[in-house]
Amino acid sequence: MNDPLHLFELHPLVTLTPFGVDVSLNKAALMMFLVAGLVILLMTGARASGSLIPTKLQSVAELLVEFIRGMIHDTMGRDGMRFFPLIASLFLFILFCNLLGLIPGAYTVTSQLAVTGVFAVGVYVLSLVVGFRLHGAKFLGILVPPGTPGWLVPLMIPIEIISQLARPVSLAVRLFANMTAGHVILGVLFALTISGGWALGWLPFSFTVALYGLEVGIAFIQAYIFTVLTCVYMGDALHPH
Amino acid sequence: MPQFDTQFFPSLIFWELISFGILCAVLYKFAFPPILAALDAREQKIRDSLEQAERHRAEAEQRLQDYDAKLRDAAREAEAVVADAKAKAQRLLEDNERRLRAEAKRMRDETTRELERERRKAAQELRKETANLAVAVAEQVLGRSLSDDDHRRLAQDALQAVADGNATGFVNTDGK
Repeated sequence: MNDPLHLFELHPLVTLTPFGVDVSLNKAALMMFLVAGLVILLMTGARASGSLIPTKLQSVAELLVEFIRGMIHDTMGRDGMRFFPLIASLFLFILFCNLLGLIPGAYTVTSQLAVTGVFAVGVYVLSLVVGFRLHGAKFLGILVPPGTPGWLVPLMIPIEIISQLARPVSLAVRLFANMTAGHVILGVLFALTISGGWALGWLPFSFTVALYGLEVGIAFIQAYIFTVLTCVYMGDALHPH
Repeated sequence: MPQFDTQFFPSLIFWELISFGILCAVLYKFAFPPILAALDAREQKIRDSLEQAERHRAEAEQRLQDYDAKLRDAAREAEAVVADAKAKAQRLLEDNERRLRAEAKRMRDETTRELERERRKAAQELRKETANLAVAVAEQVLGRSLSDDDHRRLAQDALQAVADGNATGFVNTDGK
C-alpha cells in the first residue's frame, strides 16, 4: 500500500485466453469501455437535439467539435477534414481517459505505455501510409528539408530518419509519462497525508488539492498536444513541403 | 513499474483497439455528421443573417436618403410656391397702383377740362353781359333809340369783336 505505483497495477477480473492470448478483462479495459460509452453518449446526445439553438449538452459537444475542427484547419488545412472522425475520436478518447482517470479509484488508461504506444505508432504509421499513397516515392523528400545544401544531404537523411522515428516514441512517452507522473505525485502526497495524521497531514493534503487542479489542466493539455501533433504529422503527409 | 509488465500488454492493446474502434465507428456514423452539419448550418445562418442585416441597413439608408431628397424637393417646391405667390401679390399691387394712378390722373384731367370749359363759359357770359351793358350805356349816351335790328346787329358785331379779341370793331360801330 505504500508503493505509490500500486495504482497502476492491473489484475485480471475476467480471464479470457482465446487462441492462447491473454486478453483478460481488467480495470483498464472497463475504463476504456466506460470512456467510449460516455463519449458516445455525449456526442450522440448532442446530435439528438441538433437544433439551431443548442441545448447545454449540444453546446459542449459542439464546442469540442469546433475546437478539433479549428485545430485541423490550422495544422492540416481544409482537406484535413477527411481525417476529422479519426482525430476527433482520438482527442475525445484521450481527453476522457485523462479526465476520468483523475476520479479517485478509477484507472488512468493513458498511464499505460502500451495504450499510448498503440495510438502513437498507429497514428504515425497511418501518416506514412497516407503520405506514400498520396505522393508515392516523392514522400521520401521529407527526409531532406528544403534548402539543404547538396553536401549536407548524406548527413541530413540519417538525422531526419532519427527525428521521424522519434515522433511515435515521443508521442507515446509524453502522454504516458505525464499521466504517470501526475498520479504518482498525487499518490505520494496522499500517502503523506495519511501518514502525517491530523497534525501534519493538512500540509500535503492542501498540495494535493492544488495539484488536482493542475492535473485537470494537464489532462486537457496532454490530450490537446497528442492530437495537435497527430494533426501535424498527418499534415506533413498531406502536404510535404 | 507496473506499466512495463508485458503480461497485460495483449489485453490492453486488444481492448483499446476494440473500444476505440467502436467509439470511432459510432461517432463517424452517428455523431459527427449531424454535429458538423449543425455547425455549418448555424454558421450559414449567422452569415445569412449578417448579410441580411447589412442589406436591410443599406436599404434603410437608401430609403432615408430618398426621403431626405424628397423632403428637400418638397421644401424647395414650397419655397418656389411662396416666392411665386409673393411675386404675384407684388404684381397685383403694382397693377392696382398703376390703375388707380391712371384713374386719378384721368379724373384730374377731366376736372381740369371741366373747369376750363366752365371758365370759358363764364368768360363768354361775362362778355355778353358786358356787351349789353355797353349797348345800354351807349344808348343812353347817344340818346337815341336803336331799332331792334340795329340792336341785334350791334350786339352781333360786338360779340364778334369780343370773340375775335378785337375791340376795334366795337369802336368802329360806335364811330358810325
